Amino acid sequence: MMTEQKCRILLVEDNEVNRNMLIRRLERAGHSVITAADGEAALKVMREEHPAVVLMDMNLPVKDGWTACREAKSDPALSHIPIIALTAHAMEEDKVRALAAGCADFATKPVDFPALLNVIAAALNAHS
Amino acid sequence: MRTADVVTQLRPRLSLRGRLYLFSGAILILFAINVAVSLWGSFARNESSLAYQEAVTAAQLTAELEQNLQNKRQQVLVLATLRETTDDPLEDSQLGQAGADLDIIAERLRQLGSYGGADLEAHYRRLHDSTTTLIAQWRQFYTGYNQAGPAPPVEDARTYNNAQQRLQELDQRQSFIAVQRATAIDRTITLTDQITVVGFISSIAITLALVFAMIRSTNASLTRMKRGVERFGSGDLTYRIDQQRDAGEIGDLARTFNEMSTKLQAAIEEMNTARADADSANAAKSMFLANVSHELRTPLNAIIGYSEMLQDELSDETEVNREQFHHDLATIILSGRQLLTLINDILDLSKIETGKMQVSFEVFSPAALLVQVCDALSPLLTQNKNSLVLNIDKDNMRDMNSDRGKLQQIVTNLFSNACKFTREGEITVSAFMDQQELTVTVADTGIGMTPTQQERVFEAFTQAEADTGLKYGGTGLGLAIVREFCKMLGGGIEVESKPNEGALFRVRIPVDPT
Repeated sequence: MMTEQKCRILLVEDNEVNRNMLIRRLERAGHSVITAADGEAALKVMREEHPAVVLMDMNLPVKDGWTACREAKSDPALSHIPIIALTAHAMEEDKVRALAAGCADFATKPVDFPALLNVIAAALNAHS
Repeated sequence: MRTADVVTQLRPRLSLRGRLYLFSGAILILFAINVAVSLWGSFARNESSLAYQEAVTAAQLTAELEQNLQNKRQQVLVLATLRETTDDPLEDSQLGQAGADLDIIAERLRQLGSYGGADLEAHYRRLHDSTTTLIAQWRQFYTGYNQAGPAPPVEDARTYNNAQQRLQELDQRQSFIAVQRATAIDRTITLTDQITVVGFISSIAITLALVFAMIRSTNASLTRMKRGVERFGSGDLTYRIDQQRDAGEIGDLARTFNEMSTKLQAAIEEMNTARADADSANAAKSMFLANVSHELRTPLNAIIGYSEMLQDELSDETEVNREQFHHDLATIILSGRQLLTLINDILDLSKIETGKMQVSFEVFSPAALLVQVCDALSPLLTQNKNSLVLNIDKDNMRDMNSDRGKLQQIVTNLFSNACKFTREGEITVSAFMDQQELTVTVADTGIGMTPTQQERVFEAFTQAEADTGLKYGGTGLGLAIVREFCKMLGGGIEVESKPNEGALFRVRIPVDPT
């Protein structure tokens, strides 16, 4: 049975406007949110903070989301954390590409927020 | 070496029609030779038959003549004895009969002369002389029989013996010559028979060889054709038939086929190039659409996200933070404007491509325009923490006659590009004017471009790298539009850049289009 767990989420997003928007909405939904603006920073935060789930934009400076995702999945200390791809690349092959990189799920921009909350819950349940 | 090989090598360039003529001619000649030999053979047989008949007739004549001579001599001897014993004269009818008998003998002798020819000439002549003498003596005997006086001499025995001997000699000679001629004719018949058989067999052999050579050479030509058609048909476009090896119709066919192949090859290659171009254009458009989709979704994400969030917050019973609310609305509006700009870019490029973009000239102040644009775009500077240096040579700035809207968009696109590709750097916008043209430069201290990237940076649907759109946003349309607008205003644009050392775009626009 799926439950509405409240948890700590790492939001990786380089666009400030969209990042602020998602922080506020996730916090209103009862989650706590930590952020990173690029893929390299995201891996660092994952190691230090151990978030329950990661929402990852794929077009990131320094190290893109696909690379960061593959590295996280090949790191035994991080591989258990579910990563949800969150991207404006909405084509079917983009979804395939994200899942191939090791993402647990895939959500497109513009964000359907209730659906995103369900995806987060599903990822947490699958993990636990 | 086989006959077929010889024929193929001797006549490698003979046309198919030539080969057929040669073939027919050879067969006709062989046929004629066979007929001639056969005619010769039948002529020889005919000759043999004639010679045999002649020999038989001559032998009969000789035998009859001998018999006649013997009979007549018996009569003469009997009469001579009667003359001695009686005085009865011979009656006229008896004399006449005797004369007729002698005439018959003379006639036989004459007939015998017509057989034998030169070979028997000497023998016949001797026979003729002695027999004629004998007949003459016998005639004298008959003439003198009824006359008074002593009995006429019967004959000289030597004369008769002589005639008999000559007759035997002629007979022997005739037999000898008949045997000789029969032998010669037999040899000829044997020879013609042999020649006929050999000629017939060799005719069959030569005809077979010719047929085989004909089939072989024609088949070789046709096989080359077939192989060529098969190779070309299965996609080997560069294959050509070896047309040097055939003359005439098949050579023509090969040459025509090769010409057709060359044309087809060119057409197919052209078609492939066109298809590759179309594929690449399609791929570029698909890529462009994917980028457009991505770019539309980014501002829409903010617009929808913020709107939903504000709606949620309003539906809560909590106090609304008016300042926060105002700021959020500004974000929604800014995103909406970005969306509009993007849509306008796409429409502009579509208009340019279809030739429907209009230019409307008016007189305006470029300095005022530049200041206005930089003011309007100053929010972009803060996004990547860049600073602006505005450097306008106001002393030499005059009003110009150009399309104000297009110049505004040129500067806007260059400015927003500079902001997009520069972080925590400096954007410098400079402008100066001489007699002919306005020069505007937009320089940044951003990521810059390699020479290869600079070559492609003005192409529509293209960014410096395939993933530039992913990293920095943008559809790759801005600079394409800028270049087209510069051309429409009678000016141009150039770029100077090095990787990681920023980029400088220099635009030159005529002060007056005339």
